[in-house]
Amino acid sequence: MIAAAVLTIVLCTFTGPAGFGIPSAGQGAADIVGGIRLPRVLAAFFVGASLAVAGAAMQALFKNPMADPYILGTSSGGALGASLAIVFLGGFFVPIFAWIGAVVAILIVWSIAGRRGVISVETLLLTGIAVSFFFSAIVSFLIAIAGQNVHQIIFWLMGGFWNASPSDAILSACILVPAGALLFFMGRDLNALSLGEETAAHLGIDATRARWAVLGGSTLLVAGAVSIAGCIGFIGLVTPHIVRMLMGPDNRVVIPACILAGGMLLVISDTLARTFFSDLPVGIITAFIGAPFFIWLIHQRGMAT
Amino acid sequence: MNDKYSIHAQNLHAGYGTIEIVKSVSCTFAPGTFTGIIGPNGSGKTTLLRTFSRVIPASGILLLDGKPVSDYTPAELGMALGFVPQDEGRPFPYTVMQVVLMARYARTSRFAALVPEDYARCHRALADTGVSHLADRSIRTLSGGEWQRVLIARSLAQDTKVLLLDEPTSHLDLSHQSDILTLMRRLAGSGSTIVGVFHDLNLAALYCDRLIMIQHGELVADGTPAQVLTPKKIREVYGADVVTSCHPATGRTFLMPIKTANGTNSAGKPLNVQVISGGGSGSDLLHFLSGKCLSLSLGILATTDTDYLTAQALDIPCVPVLPFSPIPAHALEKFKRMLSRADRIILSVHPVGTGNLPVIGALSEVDPARIIIHLPEGRDFSSYDYAKGAAAAAFENLCAAGAQCTTSYDGILQHLYPVTPGTNE
Repeated sequence: MIAAAVLTIVLCTFTGPAGFGIPSAGQGAADIVGGIRLPRVLAAFFVGASLAVAGAAMQALFKNPMADPYILGTSSGGALGASLAIVFLGGFFVPIFAWIGAVVAILIVWSIAGRRGVISVETLLLTGIAVSFFFSAIVSFLIAIAGQNVHQIIFWLMGGFWNASPSDAILSACILVPAGALLFFMGRDLNALSLGEETAAHLGIDATRARWAVLGGSTLLVAGAVSIAGCIGFIGLVTPHIVRMLMGPDNRVVIPACILAGGMLLVISDTLARTFFSDLPVGIITAFIGAPFFIWLIHQRGMAT
Repeated sequence: MNDKYSIHAQNLHAGYGTIEIVKSVSCTFAPGTFTGIIGPNGSGKTTLLRTFSRVIPASGILLLDGKPVSDYTPAELGMALGFVPQDEGRPFPYTVMQVVLMARYARTSRFAALVPEDYARCHRALADTGVSHLADRSIRTLSGGEWQRVLIARSLAQDTKVLLLDEPTSHLDLSHQSDILTLMRRLAGSGSTIVGVFHDLNLAALYCDRLIMIQHGELVADGTPAQVLTPKKIREVYGADVVTSCHPATGRTFLMPIKTANGTNSAGKPLNVQVISGGGSGSDLLHFLSGKCLSLSLGILATTDTDYLTAQALDIPCVPVLPFSPIPAHALEKFKRMLSRADRIILSVHPVGTGNLPVIGALSEVDPARIIIHLPEGRDFSSYDYAKGAAAAAFENLCAAGAQCTTSYDGILQHLYPVTPGTNE
């Protein structure tokens, strides 16, 4: 799987609207590959990995296979934070504000849906949707008053990598490595938590600490992803399901597999977007694939129970 | 001083938010015992159990093996105490083995893999609860009973000295109930401390050494099953009428609910019914009638008679006499007074010899229209005659005089209900 991931990165780096295959020669070709495509592919990989891992962790924590960062409002929270920074601070501190927005969103969802530690699937989803709508409304308001910054905000909402720089790739890697490692080593905590916090406690897991660690880690990942690439939906939902279907539900396997699979999926989606759809925002591609999958998933879940 | 107890709770209070569910509970659990927590729905049994396992914060003193439970690290607690929930959500398709292996997390570093011993322990636990064959199945495909046994296996694999069970047999069929509870007895026998919440009082009485009864979050009884499961206590706490008895096969206390009265007759008063039986002939009939809103009384009974014991258990008045001796005149007088007060008299035909012949004789003095004779299907009067024909003749005479004869309980009911009290006055 690691080999497949590396191969994907390499192939996609050498694929694009400017030509396929290894460029024969010339400074221009080298610039395209090394200066534009490579950071973009790497950023897409790290962002995809972050979203997939965060999604897997959220699903385990919320005991709900339908949970993902987008549905729980974290992404729209991040977008709100980013929009505020764009409108009022002229685009400075965008990642920090995106992160704060994401944290606020998850805390709101958690405190409303998670009273007394019991989280019902319905309350969770409804709260996430409500918080998403609320934050989206504020974002819409900001768009209305944003004037010349409108384009920048729209960028966040659609999600894409067309401005990806080497520093974006490095930043996303800097978040993914520690947060991904944290969640990887919490694999068994996630397993126990996915059967319920009380069960986890009875099995000797520090459930409260694990909950906050998982929430903090995944919020960090999602916030980082949003601050770099805007709101890319469905990667966080779909990837863990594909991984579980292929490799089983043990989170000690699911988490590392999600890093690779999520990265690959987003790199491929982004390559499709920039190669065949004249740089269509990649969020559109992922949602285009993800939405039917989500419907199929709901259908399957209905069949299973 | 507290070290000899696995769990030592003193003045324990716990609840959810501002609602206090457990109120000032003090109790101890010693190693090698199997204790049942019983009480009506919503009395706080499960909450108490969860308080013991620290998932619900409590005030008061709670010691686990002599050490405050709050001093345990989560992993230490996972090695000291196992908990079997009633049910558990199954959102992800883990295999049974994956779920049971989670029992070993507390004993393994997060950076280390489980060792073969862990797998062996889990396989043994699966075998103990009879679910070895399910090891590789997805937990989402299990039945409720199979899943419950997997949850029990997981807590066994935790290798804890204390095991808390929340209705461990609620989803199990008869044979698995006894398998699991026998297993718990065995664990208690080898020094574990087992505490279980039970709904089925008979199961609790059969397997537990000791029962604790909870009502409104307070401890209202604590003792052996025979001490706790008294009809009086059950009526107070559960609001249900039961009869208790010592089971002849198991020697343990068992109890049976009796239907509570659900109305009165047209005069607003229960029908006064006198049952005359003997030699155990009336026990089934009394249980049958006890739920029918009747004011029952029994006739002259020897204190060794099964019907006498039934009368005691059901709290039905009768005229007790010494066995193997002639009926004293004052007993017969008292019996005749009872007969005169009865709206209806049911004669459950029973063996009659010269000793109890006067009882049947007394019936000839009452209005035969008030008498219902119950003769079991396929029997005749002479087979109950131990008085050289005199008893059979007495029965025949009552029939001839106009007493209603029936062979079934339904027949008795048909004869009972057309009559209202007062018509005989």
